[in-house]
Amino acid sequence: MKIAISASSPDLKAEIDPRFGRAVCFIVVDEESQEWEAYDNPARDATGGAGVQAARFIAEKGADVAISGAFGPNAFEIMDATGMRMFVFQNSGSLKVSEVVSRYRDGELDPVTGPSGPGHHGK
Amino acid sequence: MRELVLLSGKGGTGKTSLAASFAHLAAEGEIPIRAVIVDADVDASNLELVLEPVLLEDRAFEGGKVVVIDRDLCTGCMECMEVCRFEALHPSPDSPDLVMVDPISCEGCAACTHICPENAMHMEQEIAGSLYHSESRYGPLFHAALHPMQDNSGKLVMAVREMARAHVSGNGYDLILVDGPPGIGCPVISAVTGSDSALIVTEPGAAGVHDLKRIVETTEHFGVPTMVCVNKADIHPEGTEEIEAYCLERGIEVVGKIPFDDAVTTAMVEGVPVTASGNGPAARAIHHLWRRLIRL
Repeated sequence: MKIAISASSPDLKAEIDPRFGRAVCFIVVDEESQEWEAYDNPARDATGGAGVQAARFIAEKGADVAISGAFGPNAFEIMDATGMRMFVFQNSGSLKVSEVVSRYRDGELDPVTGPSGPGHHGK
Repeated sequence: MRELVLLSGKGGTGKTSLAASFAHLAAEGEIPIRAVIVDADVDASNLELVLEPVLLEDRAFEGGKVVVIDRDLCTGCMECMEVCRFEALHPSPDSPDLVMVDPISCEGCAACTHICPENAMHMEQEIAGSLYHSESRYGPLFHAALHPMQDNSGKLVMAVREMARAHVSGNGYDLILVDGPPGIGCPVISAVTGSDSALIVTEPGAAGVHDLKRIVETTEHFGVPTMVCVNKADIHPEGTEEIEAYCLERGIEVVGKIPFDDAVTTAMVEGVPVTASGNGPAARAIHHLWRRLIRL
């Protein structure tokens, strides 16, 4: 199982980024081996549709689980359809990626089960 | 340090006028707040009209990508024209057997670059406008301007917010005040994500209520604590009651009701925030609202 976490810089000790689509980067952690890799988020520079493109990017990196501050309606829909599980952390400022990983392991993160808002249209 | 974003759903509710008053009260009100101001409503970046910014720094803003055709490689097969959904590709007027791009219509989808059998098409970054860091009469202002035919985007809102964040980092500021874009689209989402709280400025009436509900659903989706302020609240009291009932039902606090006041227009004509031009009913209501906000 691989977990992708939105982060503000490419390190396990980095602070989280509460944004999903426009996160600075993603840290992808392999739950079994504990190995991790950092990727710049290519969707960040999208003029529109950043959430959907970020979702596709982490799926390509093999993530089964995504953790961020929130997931937009459009990103939620596509990730839900592909069976990716989503969890959110509270936007608590200086939370580190490594702490998020242990909170996930301890079952302390809230799963996202349904879109709480409508999609948005336009760019 | 907190980041407060002002949103409106519907345009024209007084969001920017309120943002200008907040900037004034932060700088010169009874409780000093060290604030930086971000104008993220780049399609109508009017905040500078009252904040009189002096430009300190500007940078080019790279927007989306547009297709560029290498005319030496184009054989005029016109296959690209068939895949373009935006009618951005046309036979060139000077040599009709070659294709030319209308960069205004090009949406940057890049479908043509994949279909072109000659690899004659590639995407290039477009300079869409400028990002500005200014010193305004009420503190640092981060804003932007777009070139003609360019529109605000999630990327641009992200860029101005990040410029402001880099400036405040470690400099002892209390507040980032963001004048957000209207609507619920991509620029709005980019203004909301990661903010500490959102204040929605609405007005009584069918369109106001309808758009309020849409923007509330957006901010709630992103888990951003949301408050509502009703502007021109006394021109249609039943409408204001409807807004209050809706907010009560959703558990959203109505933190302010601003009455209709000619002084708002007068101040606008003078080019100053209403709180800086007098102490009429609207200015007093905004003072009250501001005191509540900074206590929260």
